[in-house]
Amino acid sequence: MGLGAMSLGLLDASLAPARAAGPGGSPLAGRAPHFRPRARRVVHFFLNGGPSHVDTFDPKPALARHAGRVLPAGNLRTERKTGAAFPSPFAFRRRGQSGLEISDAFERTATHADDIAVIRSMHAQVPNHEPSLMLMNCGDNVQVRPSFGAWTLYGLGTENANLPGFVALCPGGMPIKDAENWQSAFLPGVFQGTFVDPQHRELSKLIEHIRSPHAATSVQRRQLDLLHELNAAHAAARGNDPRLEARIESFELAFRMQLEATDAFDLSREPAHVRAAYGDTVHGRQTLIARRLLERGVRVVQLWHGAGQPWDHHDNIEGNLRKHAGEIDGPMATFIADLKQRGLFEDTLILCGGEFGRTPTVELGDSGKSKLGRDHNHYGFSVWLAGGGVRGGTAHGATDEFGFKAEVHPTSVHDLHATMLHLLGLDHERLTFRHAGRDFRLTDVSGEVVRAVLA
Amino acid sequence: MRHRLLHSFGWIVVGLNCLRLPAAVTPPPDADRHWSFQALRDTKPPAVSNPGWCRNEIDRFVLSRLEAAGIPAPPAADARTMLRRLHLDLVGVPPTFDEVLAFQSEWARDPDVAVGRAADRLLSDPRHGERWGRHWLDLARYSDTKGYVYAREESRFVHAFAYRDWVVEALNRDLPYDHFIQLQIAADQLVPAGSPDLAAMGFLTLGRRFLGVTHDIIDDRIDVVCRTTLGLTVSCARCHDHKYDPIPTSDYYSLYGVFAASADRTVPLGECDDAELAKRIKAYVEGHEKRRAEAEQRLATRVGDYLRAQLSLKDYPEEGFDQILTDADIIPHSVRRWRDWLARPGRVQSRLFGPWLAVAALGVPDGEGFDAAAREAMKAGSASGGVHGWITEALKAPLRGKGDVAAAYGKVFREAHERRDATNASPELAELVAFLRDPLAPARIPDGDLVTIEYYLPTSVTEELGKLQGDIDRRRIDLGLPMAVASTDKPDITLPRVFRRGSPSQPGAEVPRQFLAVLSGKDRVPFTRGSGRLELARAITDPSNGLASRTIVNRVWQHHFGTGLVPTTSDLGLRADRPSHPELLEWLAGRFVADGRSLKALHRLIVCSASYRAAGVGGHAQDPDRRLLSAFPRQRLSFEALRDSMLAASGELETRMGGKTQPLLDAASRRRTLYAFVDRQFLPGVLRTFDFANPDLHVPVRHETTVPQQGLFFLNGPFAAQRARALAERTRSMAPAERVQALHRALFQRSATGAEVSLAMRFVAAAESAEPTGPSAVAWKPGAWSQGVGEVDVAAGVVRGFKPLPRFTGTAWQGAEAWPGGDSGWARLTAEGGHPGNTRAHAVVRRWTAPADLRVTVEGTLRHEVTEGDGVRGFVLAPRLGIVTSNTVHKASVEMKAGPLDVRAGEWIDFVVDIRDVLNSDQFLWAPTVVAGGRRWDAGGEFGGPPPADDRLRPWEQYAQVLLLSNEMAFAD
Repeated sequence: MGLGAMSLGLLDASLAPARAAGPGGSPLAGRAPHFRPRARRVVHFFLNGGPSHVDTFDPKPALARHAGRVLPAGNLRTERKTGAAFPSPFAFRRRGQSGLEISDAFERTATHADDIAVIRSMHAQVPNHEPSLMLMNCGDNVQVRPSFGAWTLYGLGTENANLPGFVALCPGGMPIKDAENWQSAFLPGVFQGTFVDPQHRELSKLIEHIRSPHAATSVQRRQLDLLHELNAAHAAARGNDPRLEARIESFELAFRMQLEATDAFDLSREPAHVRAAYGDTVHGRQTLIARRLLERGVRVVQLWHGAGQPWDHHDNIEGNLRKHAGEIDGPMATFIADLKQRGLFEDTLILCGGEFGRTPTVELGDSGKSKLGRDHNHYGFSVWLAGGGVRGGTAHGATDEFGFKAEVHPTSVHDLHATMLHLLGLDHERLTFRHAGRDFRLTDVSGEVVRAVLA
Repeated sequence: MRHRLLHSFGWIVVGLNCLRLPAAVTPPPDADRHWSFQALRDTKPPAVSNPGWCRNEIDRFVLSRLEAAGIPAPPAADARTMLRRLHLDLVGVPPTFDEVLAFQSEWARDPDVAVGRAADRLLSDPRHGERWGRHWLDLARYSDTKGYVYAREESRFVHAFAYRDWVVEALNRDLPYDHFIQLQIAADQLVPAGSPDLAAMGFLTLGRRFLGVTHDIIDDRIDVVCRTTLGLTVSCARCHDHKYDPIPTSDYYSLYGVFAASADRTVPLGECDDAELAKRIKAYVEGHEKRRAEAEQRLATRVGDYLRAQLSLKDYPEEGFDQILTDADIIPHSVRRWRDWLARPGRVQSRLFGPWLAVAALGVPDGEGFDAAAREAMKAGSASGGVHGWITEALKAPLRGKGDVAAAYGKVFREAHERRDATNASPELAELVAFLRDPLAPARIPDGDLVTIEYYLPTSVTEELGKLQGDIDRRRIDLGLPMAVASTDKPDITLPRVFRRGSPSQPGAEVPRQFLAVLSGKDRVPFTRGSGRLELARAITDPSNGLASRTIVNRVWQHHFGTGLVPTTSDLGLRADRPSHPELLEWLAGRFVADGRSLKALHRLIVCSASYRAAGVGGHAQDPDRRLLSAFPRQRLSFEALRDSMLAASGELETRMGGKTQPLLDAASRRRTLYAFVDRQFLPGVLRTFDFANPDLHVPVRHETTVPQQGLFFLNGPFAAQRARALAERTRSMAPAERVQALHRALFQRSATGAEVSLAMRFVAAAESAEPTGPSAVAWKPGAWSQGVGEVDVAAGVVRGFKPLPRFTGTAWQGAEAWPGGDSGWARLTAEGGHPGNTRAHAVVRRWTAPADLRVTVEGTLRHEVTEGDGVRGFVLAPRLGIVTSNTVHKASVEMKAGPLDVRAGEWIDFVVDIRDVLNSDQFLWAPTVVAGGRRWDAGGEFGGPPPADDRLRPWEQYAQVLLLSNEMAFAD
């Protein structure tokens, strides 16, 4: 479909799923994008804490040549003091047909290298977690702004009104900055991410109020039937008021949500071999939950690695990074393969990355001694994309010789957001919301779509 | 479009389909002639053809527009609807059925008198302040917490509830609106120290902390002040001139200067003689003085380093770029304080630092030739007052670069610092020491609360002092002491500079502190008193400022009718819609000023109008959104009003006002929702789904969404179920038909119709026939195992002081919600093992109770896996036999077998582990099994939680819940 499709109503029907918006216009009703999308849903593997790019997706052989020596151009200022060049303890290999270099830390994910586009020239603004988390998730370091997921839901609605449209999974509790990471800010509260701690196995702990402790389903059905009769009489005496209708409908949706959510989160309904392939670990389970949510029409799923900031590898990066990568490498690889088998890969956008990267130089402790780890680095880092509309087997942009700073095609977080919205069929300059006298957007006043990673 | 949601979603249509703004949008040249910026016009109520319908002047304006549109005047609402509307609107809870009956008989005599008296009664009801105070708190982005803070800091504000209570009380005493505003912006300059009115300044100081980034804190304050009081989006001018309104960036920075010249100060609003608090304050003050003196000593002895840092300012990025700093580091905040101080003209600057400034500006590279150029520059730049002798002397040595100059300065000030206490100091030494001691000089740390000075200190010191400050805050909060955080004027006030493109690293021209040009007329003069905050407050509330009066009058209208005369109540600028009734807005604002800016007089005027008293059903096709008031716009209850109404209906609403907050979703909470703890960092999802005002932002109009999560809260959450139980309980002794009536009267203030009674009967009958018969259907079968703590009396062979562990987490039994916690500390039992409590008196005990007379054996392995500590002791105790087996294990495992043992029904066998001698790494694995013939009781496999309480709603409770969920409950006609 050509340019002519870029207006409302000319899109093919499957892109704007017939969704009973319900009287009164449900804010979650599916909405047509600006133009033909390449992806319909998003999953974001958030490696919170700041994964080291030079140990995973950005090979820097020069570090080995300078091992233990001070970098020729000196170190950039980061949160803590760092010392000499610190070569990666992980081996990089060329993978797939494309020869994309990925380290052994992600060797199973690397089997999908030809589907992956790494952006090696990402940069953020400061070397601190809190502002960088906000930037990556909400497009601004400190101001209260809606998250990417909230914007997406605002732009597209959801395809399944019986489930929350945006789910944030984080095992063990909240990441740093808590629910701000998936906030709706000035957008209506319903666009906020729904937090789920997948460490729980009981549904009632996964989603608030999803089960009734005081009425069986049959009792509730009888109650809702009575409610419907009372409300119908009430509405009839008041003419046609869509707000009354909307509230009546919302109770029916609530009733159905109980059943649908039970189903979506119940992994025992998956065949044993699928569960085994994902692995019976918290990350295996949460990744499988993510797939079940996405295939049921949830628009955005964010998978956090864990409470706090597990990827904050200030010391012993070899051991810590190996451990954390090992926890998600298998589930992520299985997830990609599983999406492919189900035909979901082509229209699911996958993002994997953290809030920044890490220094190529070694972090020094108080005494000036090496901690065998790396400090935060916002000057340059990597994220990767895969799935709908992404040009696989690509490495876009580059950091300097040592991996300190983005040098070739520096890519801001706004650029990344613009690109992701673009793949979802949304023009980041037109997805706006009037608040406090301004038309706000996720990308504020910047953002360029990174064409090089588009298929 | 009728409702707010659709209103805001109107934007998606624009956002998605059209309008890409041209690159450079600027206000039209005559923007300052926009209607809302003008003085109030003197408008007269128009003539109408049906004056008999009108009750006051408002109605003539409203009717005139209806008549022009050919729409007839709407009929009046009935008495019950009217009283319910008045109650929900003015006090936030519905009337009682008896109040409706009394009102109906008054109404029958004279509706005007009845409405007037009800309005007077409700406006003097203290619940009025609770209802309207919440509207104000939405604007003030009220929160009980600061938002995200680092772990060192207490996240709760000490002064939030005092501000909330001040607002409630100010509205209840009908504080004139101009005073109401002035106190919130400048109480520090209007009332004496210790006055309870200082609490008003929470309006400024309850915003997010933005990770300590000053520019964003100030931006938040400009935004909340200007949008709330002026209906102007001044913050849009932070980076560039406002695109629509005549607000240049320089005006933004004029206001920025007002707030930048103010510092927050925490002050108690009453006496307190709590010894513990005094102790904590002492600890902080001592720690603070010591650390501050150390830090200032470092500043004084490193003047050279701070001067050298001026040469590479980009290495010291603005706030928000946080580095972990030790006491050996240059403090970026002090580098910037030096920068600002040096940039200020002054005698000390030139006498002491004239040579430095001359050299620093030099474009000559270090090395050969530098010396000559430097001397030339210093000579040219030397001030008339001359240069300080020591400095002249120190600079005589050859200078190879700017670093040498800085080093010379460093040496001079180090020496002055070392000799600072010398008796008979020469005037020259005294001059240098005076500089080092000047509280406004960059060698000092400014005065103020820790949050305002923490970035001048090394990270570890900030953490240490933060904990001490947190100890004070927590004590104050626990004691419920009323506190204020007041803005106060700083001693060293400088003129603000415009930040080009909003970036503090690109300072532009200086601007005076002054009010907005568009509202100041031709003879605008800069503020002269301190920060200018009081002058700002007075400019806002000046009677000549029509915009402020229009803004508040429009807001009041919005809350009475659902939509403002101008719908964007915090933006009356050029992008706002024209008012639906422009003449009325002028007239109302004028009347408001003439009435001494009494909000209560304004409420009374509005609610007594025929326009407000119109029926909610009906309406007119030409007025689909009811902006013309062809019918009263039906209101959906806010979350607060709905929750409070449910508590009121069930007779449970607590009337206690003010004071400490309470967790909202605490099942025991029966207070008004206003008193819920508002944690902006962990706002309960329920509040967000119910469109509660986002406490991070000024919220003039709440979204209104309808989503299933709202239904789930009432359907499945405990709140509505508890109200349903209370309602059923209150009506329990009544006959069924009477019960239906009583419930309808309690909830809807009306009797049930015949059809409703028979519906209810059918429902209850069906529910009763579906009830499970007898208690056994849900009875829980007690397991054989229980878990507790106690102490093994080895001599007596018994467990003494057995107490069940009270908390079950889903995977473990333990002493308290947190682990370790409670008296027993680390005591915990899981399916696989556990951990003994902190002393031998808190050994963990698995207790197996025999279901019958049995002969049993016990099996199992006790394992302790770590090297640390001294291991644990394990015991098996049987009735009458005492200890049947016991072992001590340390990094080892041991079989714990015994039997056969004879036990009688109801007797127990205890499996006990204690800490041995020391509490250290005492976690163990041991899931014993009891075997009797073919039966086995496995402590691991049968491990589980407490018996489920029978929470099922009974038929009448189910019925009451349905009524609570109904639309009649959730809407006001």
